Amino acid sequence: MTMKMEALLEQIRAVQGADAWSVTERTEEGWEFYLIRGRLDQHRARQTRTFSVTLYAAQEDGKYLGSANAPIAPTATPEEAARILADLRLRAAYVRNPFYTLVRPDGRPAEPAPAPDTAAIARDFLVTLRDLPQTADADLNSAEVFVTAVREHLVNSEGVDVTGVWPSGMVEAVVNARRDGHEVELYRMLRSGSCDAEGLRRQLGDALRFSRDRLGAVPTPALGKTTVLFSTDAACQIYGWFIDRMSTGMRYRRISDWEPGKPVVDGAEGDLVTVEALPALPNASRTCAFDAEGARIEPFTVIDKGIAARSWGGRQFSCYLGLEDSCVPNCFAVTGGSMGAEELRAGDHLEIVEFSDFQVDPFNGDIAGEIRLGYLRRGGETTVVTGGSVSGSMAEFAKTMRMSRETVQYDTLSVPAVTALYGVTVAGVEE
Amino acid sequence: MKAPFSPYLTALAPRLKELLGILRADYDQVSALATDSAGFAVQISQRAKTVRSETMMTERGVVVRVCRNGQYSEAAFNDFDPADMAGLAERIRGALAAQEAVLRAVDTPAYATPLQSDEPLTLFWEAETGRLPEDEDIPALIGRLSAISDRGMAEGKDMIDCAVRAQSTHVCKMFLSEHRDLRQSYVISEGGVIAMVTRGGRTEMARGSVAERLGPEIFDDLSPQLAEALEVSQELLGAGRVEPGMYDIITAPDVSGLIAHEAFGHGVEMDMFVKERALGAQYIGKRVGSDRVTMHEGANCTVQVASYAFDDEGTLAGDVTEIDRGILRTGICDALSALRLGTVPTGNGKRENYAHKVYTRMTNTLFDSGEDSLEDMIASVKKGYLLRGVNSGMEDPKHWGIQCIVERGYEIIDGRLTGKVISPVVMTGYVPDLLGSVSMVSPDREAFGSGGCGKGHKEWVKVSDGGPYLKAKARLG
Repeated sequence: MTMKMEALLEQIRAVQGADAWSVTERTEEGWEFYLIRGRLDQHRARQTRTFSVTLYAAQEDGKYLGSANAPIAPTATPEEAARILADLRLRAAYVRNPFYTLVRPDGRPAEPAPAPDTAAIARDFLVTLRDLPQTADADLNSAEVFVTAVREHLVNSEGVDVTGVWPSGMVEAVVNARRDGHEVELYRMLRSGSCDAEGLRRQLGDALRFSRDRLGAVPTPALGKTTVLFSTDAACQIYGWFIDRMSTGMRYRRISDWEPGKPVVDGAEGDLVTVEALPALPNASRTCAFDAEGARIEPFTVIDKGIAARSWGGRQFSCYLGLEDSCVPNCFAVTGGSMGAEELRAGDHLEIVEFSDFQVDPFNGDIAGEIRLGYLRRGGETTVVTGGSVSGSMAEFAKTMRMSRETVQYDTLSVPAVTALYGVTVAGVEE
Repeated sequence: MKAPFSPYLTALAPRLKELLGILRADYDQVSALATDSAGFAVQISQRAKTVRSETMMTERGVVVRVCRNGQYSEAAFNDFDPADMAGLAERIRGALAAQEAVLRAVDTPAYATPLQSDEPLTLFWEAETGRLPEDEDIPALIGRLSAISDRGMAEGKDMIDCAVRAQSTHVCKMFLSEHRDLRQSYVISEGGVIAMVTRGGRTEMARGSVAERLGPEIFDDLSPQLAEALEVSQELLGAGRVEPGMYDIITAPDVSGLIAHEAFGHGVEMDMFVKERALGAQYIGKRVGSDRVTMHEGANCTVQVASYAFDDEGTLAGDVTEIDRGILRTGICDALSALRLGTVPTGNGKRENYAHKVYTRMTNTLFDSGEDSLEDMIASVKKGYLLRGVNSGMEDPKHWGIQCIVERGYEIIDGRLTGKVISPVVMTGYVPDLLGSVSMVSPDREAFGSGGCGKGHKEWVKVSDGGPYLKAKARLG
């Protein structure tokens, strides 16, 4: 016999001195396929179930609340579980955090979700990859397919008892293009819920086109400060900076000084960012109606036309900021800007469609990334370039940035299809 | 003391051998990796404190690898009744058969791979450690870390917060096959201090880190890490930007390690050779760096967080000379890729945990030492930077591009450090150009194990990397 939720709850309720508790049982059924040049290299099955237990201990008449967390394997014996729970109780008493409350039930029933059909989803992924249009000069090198049926059951001492079931899919794909004995590759990691065949074909089709273009790329010239367009998932890093800085965790830790009712950027002259928090986007890889602490996810506005509106975050830091009804949303949507994508592309610019690893530092907004493929538009002529890097700070770029009206979804984030940052420093390969 | 092997795995061993015996009736070859690794992670700051019994390497579960007619597949699970191995065997057969049915339905062709070597071998290894994470007095540790955080706030300038973290894992793994029984137990620990500062609207974060293949005793005095974090935080607040261009650079051992890792760590992971994704396959025996460049990779080439006795496929740990005085000699390889390539595995088959696939992964990757002093290196630079601190890096084995985001650079003009600091520094270039430009190498060598390594953007494992000071030329932006 392995550990069941009811038996574990019984043990938890028996722990002396635990003032509150929370348990999540996460079950995953995973199907994995590893393909090289369209042939199967290996396939794998995953069947896992894990408990995550947090015990809380109030201190000094409720002035402080400590907590300690541990995973408990389903193969743990009752004696082993009892030892872990006793350790958690002891440790929680020494963790001195200001008091906060756990999520309470909202009295609304949870909508049941059907169990994902992992076999059907896996078949859809395999067929879509098999039938991907490929040519002699550009094709799929390798792909890894991950299909997971996730079930999360969360129970806490306040009466929350919620269950979420959803599919989570991912394809990691590498495409090649070749000419005259020279071969290049591009990498994609595409997440979704079930198989989004049309989206997969579009994104891998773009990758094949970009890889062909990369064959003819020339070294990026030193451009100094220039306009850079972001039209791929690198834009998620840009908008992630806005979203992260509105989290209660960053605000409570004083890493972000953004406050509701105030502009997120002083002296903004460009498009103003609007961010909505959402429980789901179509076919996103997490669509549970509740967050990891059992809080129901309702839509709300995070940033409204450049003004900080409402923070999002986990229970502890949200309580500290007086936002007891907050949550960690599954998805965010950034509203489009004032111009069309083609309008943004009209002037001289560098549109970068491949980075080795584009990053925005959440602390200071510094951007950094090596350019693997870009389209340099100057005087009506377009040159395909590679190499060099970008740098600068979102704290400055946010004052003048422009966004396209059109938007595009990357799994749990919907962002403008084209984002223009002005005055980005581009270190080229050619002086 | 020795880190004792897991009693849970010891008790499970005969049951797993029974399971493998049952499965051998259906498959040509069967093996299992079982894990039971416990640990803790404590983070203390002025604003929030967390205590968890979970780290990057804590896990408990089993993965069974089977091969039939040249087709390898795996089943990973952690929810089973040890008293019912026949039932578990049926579950494994059923799960894999369901996948095979889908593969047949979509007409997916498959590779045939030879059987993995299963030469008889028994190993039982318990590494030395000062203390064990499961025995650590966590309340006392919370007190020590809180005192460091308080000191940071008192002694630092412009402080928002001072976070102190400590995590330790007792790793226990057991590999079983028809002829092999390998068991290992060791402890790794890592931690450090993060100073968060702000001045004039600029917010920065600086770290001082420690990591060892030792127990939580390494957290007994984090004063050096605190001092480093406080000093660097002030440098970052006053840092300027680099004027993009080519410069003479001197890389500190941590940045040398980042180059080793991104350049010819990922570049010679031979599962990438199988996919024809690595340019390195065409350069074995050819020059890829200057005469001063020698690089080692392997769990045995130093003692750090990635040092073990055997990998996750039951291959004994190794020490590979990847680059010998500028010539690329060989790569590193997991067992199944070695079978495809007709070579031998090097003990580099690693999983994120039992539930993940094996890939060829780095362990400890280090440049060898030389004979040039740091003082002579600085004196030889007309205009350039001494680079220290690692933010991140990204591999590009197909094209040998390199991206290293370095935390800070110290300006050198006419052979002297000027005191001017730049941050961040994006170092990019073509790997053979960068390694080919290495002209001086210092005698001292350090390895660093604080970071993690992904394959692409997933499959995170512990690695260490390092080397001596190197003088080279690179493009900074």
